[in-house]
Amino acid sequence: MWLWFAKLGSPKWFYDVSDRWLPWLIGAMSVFMVIGVIWALLFLPPDYQQSFTTRILVIHVAVAGTSLAFFPLMAVAGIITLVWKMKLADMVAKNAAALGAWFSFVTLATGSIWGSVMWGTWWEWTDARLVSMLFQFFLLLSVVALRSAIEDADKAAKACALLSIVGCINVVIIKYSVEWWNVLHQPASPLSMSSDNANGPEFWMATGVMIIAVYLFFIVSLILTTRNEILQREKRSQWVQDIVRAA
Amino acid sequence: MTQSIQFSSISEFLDMGGYAFNVWSVYAIFALFIAVNLVFPIFRKKKILRDLKKRSAFERADTDSMD
Repeated sequence: MWLWFAKLGSPKWFYDVSDRWLPWLIGAMSVFMVIGVIWALLFLPPDYQQSFTTRILVIHVAVAGTSLAFFPLMAVAGIITLVWKMKLADMVAKNAAALGAWFSFVTLATGSIWGSVMWGTWWEWTDARLVSMLFQFFLLLSVVALRSAIEDADKAAKACALLSIVGCINVVIIKYSVEWWNVLHQPASPLSMSSDNANGPEFWMATGVMIIAVYLFFIVSLILTTRNEILQREKRSQWVQDIVRAA
Repeated sequence: MTQSIQFSSISEFLDMGGYAFNVWSVYAIFALFIAVNLVFPIFRKKKILRDLKKRSAFERADTDSMD
């Protein structure tokens, strides 16, 4: 059992397996992206209240939802790093922070652009969800900064792991803020397919496609950056030197 | 539940019911976000391999000169 576990933690194993999976993941991601974007832009009927701005929501919901996965991912990777000292976990976590910052930023930007129309404001400091998402953005940037601030790689890994675990508390706040407090940002619309729902079933189907597309993108991007990390950290190993020679 | 294209002309499509700025800026941000985070790692990989190749050539040349 430990052999399987140790194998799972091998950077070379990750590199080889991701080699095989990447083409499929990129293919699937592209298909869902193209379908989602074309569906949203061309085919979504204008909402009786929101007109064509629901197209913004398709993107915003997909990116926002996925952005909540980063701290949990980094926290789990952090715990694995702290407890089992599995280097691969840290290799994944390292680049997740920067990507997460991108996700949070796009969430805030797209939400703000939508809000400027629908709420008449680009920002609202009294909205807990907005502020906690902004906080997540800064916290992810802090993880990136923390990593480069600490010279010793192992110490840096540990520090980032701890910060990531703490950051998960904020994720809970982001998610439940719309239920706990009376905020501007609307609560999650019930995922009902009935057409008397504020956003019709077409909207939710297009959003569903976009969520899958964005999630696949998240996985692809993370795999690409992790592979780079592996090449750098394992540069002394024979298998990496073979790759370098063949390049 | 069939849907049809919601616009009868390209100018209508670009106009997005008057919300052109909002819709298109969102999709531009999204496109940039996706492109950067796919293209940058790919270029980074090429750079890493190039640098590692140079380093190993340098090290080999270094040992050669010790003969």
